[in-house]
Amino acid sequence: MSLTATYKLGARLFWRDKGMLAGSVITPVALAVGMPVLMANVRADGATAAADIFYGTIALLLSITSFMNIAVALTMRRDQLLLKRLRSTRLTDAQILAGEVASTVTQTVGLLAGCLVAVHFLAGVPYPEHPLLFGLAAVAGSLTVAVLGVAYTAAIPRGELAAAMTVPVFLVCGVSAGAMGPMLELLPSWVGTVLGLLPTSAVVDAMRTGPDALLPLVVNLLVWGVVGLAAIKLWLRWEPRRS
Amino acid sequence: MTAIQVTGLRKAHGGFEAVKGISFEVAPGEIFALLGRNGAGKTTTVEVLAGFQRPDGGAVRVLGLDPWTERAAVRQRTGVMLQEAGFFPDLTVARTVDTWRDFTAAPRPRAEALELAGLTEKAATKVRQLSGGEKRRLDLALATLGRPDVLFLDEPTTGMDPEARHATWDLVRDLARSGATVLLTTHYLEEAQRLAGSVAIMDHGEVVAAGGMAEILATRSGRVSFRLPSGLDPAELPLPVTLDGELAVCRADDPDLAAQTLLSWAAGRGLRLTGLEVRTATLEDLFLDRSTR
Repeated sequence: MSLTATYKLGARLFWRDKGMLAGSVITPVALAVGMPVLMANVRADGATAAADIFYGTIALLLSITSFMNIAVALTMRRDQLLLKRLRSTRLTDAQILAGEVASTVTQTVGLLAGCLVAVHFLAGVPYPEHPLLFGLAAVAGSLTVAVLGVAYTAAIPRGELAAAMTVPVFLVCGVSAGAMGPMLELLPSWVGTVLGLLPTSAVVDAMRTGPDALLPLVVNLLVWGVVGLAAIKLWLRWEPRRS
Repeated sequence: MTAIQVTGLRKAHGGFEAVKGISFEVAPGEIFALLGRNGAGKTTTVEVLAGFQRPDGGAVRVLGLDPWTERAAVRQRTGVMLQEAGFFPDLTVARTVDTWRDFTAAPRPRAEALELAGLTEKAATKVRQLSGGEKRRLDLALATLGRPDVLFLDEPTTGMDPEARHATWDLVRDLARSGATVLLTTHYLEEAQRLAGSVAIMDHGEVVAAGGMAEILATRSGRVSFRLPSGLDPAELPLPVTLDGELAVCRADDPDLAAQTLLSWAAGRGLRLTGLEVRTATLEDLFLDRSTR
């Protein structure tokens, strides 16, 4: 009951926060739909190029709608003592966070599905060859990235800095997945190797590659998930610093 | 079993020791007031009791449970009205109550919760449009939604107008009559004196006076004050007095008897003691005495 209640609250607040919607919905959706449509129209290999960049923009969608959204929302709620108020109820800490994460994952996967349909019709991007794997990667990836977003709030000193401090994360995720063009080719090869370890890279790789990338995806997300949960356990703050 | 038991509680923030080994107990169904100036350690004590902060030393029990290690169990049976906590500003009052009802086992119906807090007419108003006092009333509605066994109220009537304050007092009394234990902190001495059966006065993290309200006030002398007749040497009076501007103030265990003595003495000399005021001990006397030492 309580998890459902926090889930409902998270979803309600997500769609009511018009300021956040611009950043966490409009921007990633515009990129995830707009760039493939652009590629489809300017490149000779239109549909292939559109598909390639679409999968890259999934990393952006995950890092903005999952990671940035939950990190900013939780930091603001922490600073406004809303998390403290929620903790004054019978909700457990785990229920509060799980509700937020579940709500974030739902929004992210819903947007991703909407973008997939949109680019199919607007840019000729084919539907995934392995839809089950695609769905699994989307849900598990979004879940892991949202958990990391919760953990990241510990590093954000106050709410006004939250959005700015998440920008480097989605830039790196976007570059590593090819959402910003072939930028990795301009960088030393070890950079690509390191960035390939990001959870968003593993998700995009699995979506592009298919079942062969399933095991690496599972291992990658499990490791990042454990790292995120450990960081939450060790460092998460429910209230702003007193000084 | 005591509802709340605090034994040698210590809590520091950084290098500052906010609570220095305090102890007190609150019986079931009792209203207990924690009094003290800003920074006395009241809020820290409440936050430890409500499970928001871990004690550095000593022990606290709420309904026999440790609020830090058994927070989930404690929260099932307690309501908390924090001194500082935010609201979701874009939700209406009704939606806020509905949301909190989802978090509460066997909650009061929304209409009842709003009526108790005097917010029925504000049901459709967004929280961001409420005044400070109305937000405190909403806070109270949320804290009492689950009919808690123990209610922590940190400065419950701050910012409320007199009417709302009296309504809140009535509500707190009703809750206590129905069996709830209430621990409240307040700056308003009148509030504590009207509501609480027991009191603890905190100063610089220590309890400087504690006990039943009647018992603690009985330890204080009453007071008789009057304008000192011009030209009269206070030393001539039959009872010792102190001077407070034009006023002579006599402290006595039995202020009625002291007043009679003074009036008889004055009548015998053809003097009038104008502005005579006879007062039994008040919490304010005790508070000012203990917290300014």
